Amino acid sequence: MAKAKVATAWLAGCAGCHMSFLDIDEAIVNLASQVEFTRSPVTDVKEFSPVDVGIFEGAVTNTDNEETLKKLRANCKILMAWGDCACFGGIPTMRNLFDKSEVLRRGYIETESTGKGKVPSSEELPRLLEQVMPANQVVKVDCYVPGCPPSSKAILYALGQLLKGRIPVLPSELMRYD
Amino acid sequence: MKEITLTINDKLVRGLEGATLLEVCQANGVDVPTLCHLEGLSDVGACRMCVVEVEKERRPVPSCTYPAREGLVVKTHTEKLEKYRRMILELVLSERNHFCMFCGQSGDCELQKLAYRYQVDSVRFPYGFPPFPVDSTSEYLMVDHNRCVLCGRCVRTCAEIAGFHVLDFSGRGWKTVVSADLGQMLGESSCVACGACAQACPTGAILSKLSLYKGRASECHRVATVCPMCGVGCELNVLVKDGNLVRIEASKLSVSAGPLCKEACFELLRPARARVTIPMARNRQGKLEELFVDGAIEVAAQHLGKLGGQAAGMVSTRYPNEALNLFQTFMRKVVGSECIDTLDGDDYRLIAQGIAQFPGGGKGLDIECPVEEISEADCILVVGADPLRTHPTVAARIRRAMVGRRAKLMVVDAQRDVFPLWTDLWLKPQAGTELILLDGLANILAARGLVRRGRVGGGEVRPLRQYDVSEVSLVTKIESQRLEMAADMFGQAKRGVILYGKGLLEKGDLNLVTCLLNLSDLTGNWVEEHLRVISLKANVNSRGGWEMGLATRAIPRGDVKGLYLLLADEERDGGLLEWAKGLDFLMVQASYHSPYTAAADVVLPSPIWAEREGTYKSMDGRLLKSRRVLQPQGGLLQDQEIMVKLARKLGHNIGSS
Repeated sequence: MAKAKVATAWLAGCAGCHMSFLDIDEAIVNLASQVEFTRSPVTDVKEFSPVDVGIFEGAVTNTDNEETLKKLRANCKILMAWGDCACFGGIPTMRNLFDKSEVLRRGYIETESTGKGKVPSSEELPRLLEQVMPANQVVKVDCYVPGCPPSSKAILYALGQLLKGRIPVLPSELMRYD
Repeated sequence: MKEITLTINDKLVRGLEGATLLEVCQANGVDVPTLCHLEGLSDVGACRMCVVEVEKERRPVPSCTYPAREGLVVKTHTEKLEKYRRMILELVLSERNHFCMFCGQSGDCELQKLAYRYQVDSVRFPYGFPPFPVDSTSEYLMVDHNRCVLCGRCVRTCAEIAGFHVLDFSGRGWKTVVSADLGQMLGESSCVACGACAQACPTGAILSKLSLYKGRASECHRVATVCPMCGVGCELNVLVKDGNLVRIEASKLSVSAGPLCKEACFELLRPARARVTIPMARNRQGKLEELFVDGAIEVAAQHLGKLGGQAAGMVSTRYPNEALNLFQTFMRKVVGSECIDTLDGDDYRLIAQGIAQFPGGGKGLDIECPVEEISEADCILVVGADPLRTHPTVAARIRRAMVGRRAKLMVVDAQRDVFPLWTDLWLKPQAGTELILLDGLANILAARGLVRRGRVGGGEVRPLRQYDVSEVSLVTKIESQRLEMAADMFGQAKRGVILYGKGLLEKGDLNLVTCLLNLSDLTGNWVEEHLRVISLKANVNSRGGWEMGLATRAIPRGDVKGLYLLLADEERDGGLLEWAKGLDFLMVQASYHSPYTAAADVVLPSPIWAEREGTYKSMDGRLLKSRRVLQPQGGLLQDQEIMVKLARKLGHNIGSS
């Protein structure tokens, strides 16, 4: 049987969900025999190519996140969200309680460690969106594994379901938001 | 109530007429999810989680407000209903900040539990992100409006259980917030921090600052015990994790029990003051020196043995009956002294003599009524007491009577109105004329034909002296009109309760106590064998100590050369200090360092309330059982164990431990 191709990405997140994924320990051996990871922060492959499953963590907070998420969506059959940021917005949405310019000023100019700060304005850099959004406000997401981070058990459960050809819905006992 | 039969999920079940559908479901083991419902509160149907389908109703109805009726056919878990419930949760989650990873309630949150149950792994609706403030102005509570689901449990708790009506909704639509008074910050409002709203809040919107991040309720073990702070003796549910106090809650939120108070919910959680953990005795240089327990007991035994009848013993009524009883045995049998007293013994002697002087006072403290009478009152007279400060749960009962039964509140106090926001009538007599005022009130009641047939003296008025209104007015400097108004208010009441406390007892006049009993008697305020009069006693076991006979006589201070002072964790003013310092020998058993321990010749550590156990007698005579919540710090001996060891050194065997 051909291996299922999986790409992962992270948006505005902390890598905690990927860490939790690596916490599946020896189960990764079995998984590796069934799955091929193409693009991911772990493999450090940057380009997108068509895959069976696209996985991402993090919320959508800037134009780069938006672009990454849209490319991932366009290249995968099933899109899975890992973690509270991806599913609901999570911690990055705290900035939605403030105006964008206020946030940039606080971050780049008023931070205690900053001397003569300046809000970066290079065209090369991605720009902040007005509001941080959970992914399903940008693209269609097929399945969700919430948690901050999700337990490795929950991640393994979701991957297992996908390999069996089912769209995973976490049972209540694997659900967590913290 | 009539029994009815209805069909729930194709099963015939029984219920009582007048119950709600939710109550019938719960009584029959049908698990209908709820959020705004809380046992003990009225139901408002705010959250719609408990919707059920009732045959012939066109749309789902909230079961918490739907009356159960004979023959109803109800479905509680259809696909449609479960879909609705999930959608309600999604709507609630998208409304404000319900991100759990930085919330103190995570793990104990009812919204979170429901969302897990309904497998809410995403939200279809755009989030609102309305910026609401966080109000941390209260010393004890933090209100985060961003976490509020507007279930109104706090509002109803504040109104129905606490009776204070501080919290209510303000604003409209998505801008609705729970606010204190007329939009004040909580710390600046009339909130008394009884803690009931924090216990009722299903989410992290109202949190106790002193419990925050100390541990989840689900990780704690619970100990049911009794509050040591005042004479009321409220039942507490103490949550403990890894030997630390995490949270203190009312054992049950109910209208009849009422709220706890800030002392019980919060002050008991404060990090302890400097604890006495090591025994000490004064050395030859006159300095306190740390010793092993046996060493300190040896020194103490030598002194007490020598002093014999010249040694006095004084004990805090925070101790349970068991310790007090052993103390009594120790002083009388081992030391051989009759000079014993409780630290609040003066109060007792005044109350007891005042009652004895009353013609129907043969039963002593039993003449007083249970505290529950306060909540049932339609007029409350508070004399020389400050319940909000000393007995906050009594104040809550007063407030509930005022709100629920439109009770009138009268305050007699020469200095200040102790309930400035609530009082209907404040009688402010010239200092020192309280007796004439109270005795005068009896005369005025009679003059206005308001005397009912009392039980004693054939129902005749028996004021101590005869006055008329103008005389009373002249002496007390209160206008006659006000006096008459007061007499009418109390005389016309059907259930008039009189409360008195420290402020009255400090006057040292037993006639004041008799006078209050007279007033109550001649207005017919008898409930069974009790008069509606309550003296507010300072400690949880004040009554226990007094009834044991520990406070029968004051200690003849001139005849005494040494003092064994058992302070426990009671905070004392310096009232005894000068006398104690002048004695040849002072031995102090205490939980905390204080001027008394500093002045002592021997200091022995004493466990705090949470480390003791035993029985108490509440101020209205209920026997209460307190349980040990924590192991004594550093393996401290219990007070009883110390007394047994001391006795053994003196050649006696008392008790076994």
